[in-house]
Amino acid sequence: MSDEPATAAETGEETPADVPGVFTLYGNELKTLIATAIVLALFPFVFARMPVVSDVLQGYQSLTTLILIWGIFALGFDLLLGYTGLLSFGHAAFWGSAAYGAGVFSQHVTGSPVLMVVAGTLVAVLLAWVLGFLSLRRGGIYFAILTLAFAQMLFYMASSPLAFITDGENGFTGVETAELFGMIPLEEDLPSILGELLGTTLYAFVAVLTLLCIALAYRILQSPYGMVFRAIRENEQRAKFVGLNVWRYKLMSFVLSGLFAGIAGSLFTIHGSYVPLSSLYWTESGEVVIMTVLGGTGSLFGPIIGAGLYLYVENIVSGFDTVGPFWHLILGLVFVITIWTFPRGIWGFFQDVRDYITGGDDQ
Amino acid sequence: MTLLKTDGLVKKFGGLVATDDVNLSVEENERVSIIGPNGAGKSTLVNLITRRLDPTEGDIQFKGESIVGRDPHEVVQMGISKSFQTASIFSELTVRENAEIAALAAENGSFGFKFLQHRESLTGVHDRATDTLDAVGLLGQADRTAADLPYGDKRRLEIGIALAAEPDLLLMDEPTAGMSPEETESTVDLIEEVKRELGLTFVLIEHDMEIVFRISDRIVVLNRGQIIAEGTPDEIRGDDEVQEAYLGGVDL
Repeated sequence: MSDEPATAAETGEETPADVPGVFTLYGNELKTLIATAIVLALFPFVFARMPVVSDVLQGYQSLTTLILIWGIFALGFDLLLGYTGLLSFGHAAFWGSAAYGAGVFSQHVTGSPVLMVVAGTLVAVLLAWVLGFLSLRRGGIYFAILTLAFAQMLFYMASSPLAFITDGENGFTGVETAELFGMIPLEEDLPSILGELLGTTLYAFVAVLTLLCIALAYRILQSPYGMVFRAIRENEQRAKFVGLNVWRYKLMSFVLSGLFAGIAGSLFTIHGSYVPLSSLYWTESGEVVIMTVLGGTGSLFGPIIGAGLYLYVENIVSGFDTVGPFWHLILGLVFVITIWTFPRGIWGFFQDVRDYITGGDDQ
Repeated sequence: MTLLKTDGLVKKFGGLVATDDVNLSVEENERVSIIGPNGAGKSTLVNLITRRLDPTEGDIQFKGESIVGRDPHEVVQMGISKSFQTASIFSELTVRENAEIAALAAENGSFGFKFLQHRESLTGVHDRATDTLDAVGLLGQADRTAADLPYGDKRRLEIGIALAAEPDLLLMDEPTAGMSPEETESTVDLIEEVKRELGLTFVLIEHDMEIVFRISDRIVVLNRGQIIAEGTPDEIRGDDEVQEAYLGGVDL
């Protein structure tokens, strides 16, 4: 630990234009990111193509992409819910507006996937700033209701007054995604070993963005913000009385979670080549709450695992001949049992198991 | 130089007048204690100064500037720090993080955009937190979760959080409430040490007369929201009105 600040100082001198401490990796960051990259590289193979395992799981390629996309959404949502302690019930607004933003952008400007993500995310961030500004005036349940109300207003706007842009109830069908960097088709399989591991270019594109999002979230948590967010969650009044502008930090938490929702929503459009009107509906906000709580609030990877489990039940268990028709019930039971037995979610359970084995090593 | 001055301060809660035309002034480097029976308006007065409550009438000036209308965090940034009556700490954070939160606010102001910068690179914050924990004797327990500390240590941490801001004026709301005699003793030692080493100006609200007489330069006696007496510990001890109204005629 003691040699790291020195390393940071050196790097800071080598790149004088940068603020020291931004581009240097500290402590476990490198290890965590390498481990994440390996998991992301193996996931589609294990889930969709590996003999025996994939047969048991009945997984398929396009679901892996969808899991990562919702994972990014839930990861950002956890910054707000798990770390800052603010329950938003209107995050569909950012997911959906980014999805529409990316779709409309592809139709009228360019179908470059990278630029679609940039455009969609920009829409979500700006909207998060405005809605955060209006909703954060109140706390607790009132905040949740305000976010819900704003998101539902947006849903209504997209369903009829703005139907000339969004195509209303039919959903937006004019998505025209082009090749990645102008030459690589997203839906095609990658060559040789990469194709076997990752499957499509689309997965690789989403996985790279997922890794970047995890790196960003991890750094936010290790920055002053991570500490301030938890302090606000623990004791908002005291945070004010040490001289912190709690309101502005809460707004930043809201905007940052909107940023992740925006990246995810844009990718959702690229993945589906279609924006359903339901992407702005309140049930989407509810789903991300359930995924985050199921996986474990206040953790980096928990929400991604929660997203995976939720989508697995929704897309695969629902197809089983025997219990398929009851998948909603199964999802409810999984949720209730998880929260009863492990209030800190699936990730909290993993941590307890690890602490039990190692005798309580801290992370 | 007058650091803090309240001018005709009135706070009404409905029909109840909690502070009634209070004119208080605190000089730089002065240690003032506010005493009074329960319900005398002591905590209300502190809450008015820290901007937790809005006054009904009157003005509060700090360093010659009115602070009525400012947000609590702005008042802290100006140099007024408060330690709470109950241990108001960040329970799930480590002891070090508790101190770092306060150090961050002091070093980097009320808000910043450093969400991409690793905390390890903020050496100023780190050093200040270390110094603070050392001063309140909690450096050895820096990595413990704050919730796991014994009550007395939580209160010391609470005072530490207030001190990490390096305030010009420290308001302490019953720093020894609920403490065992040993904990009280070590907290009083801590306050005396702070007084000696940092030369801090502070306003103390306290029930324990022994502590008040020991560490104050001046004592202000409140009763029913009004200042009924003001003076050095010796003067207050000899004041008949105070004896009657508050000390109940007990010989001190």
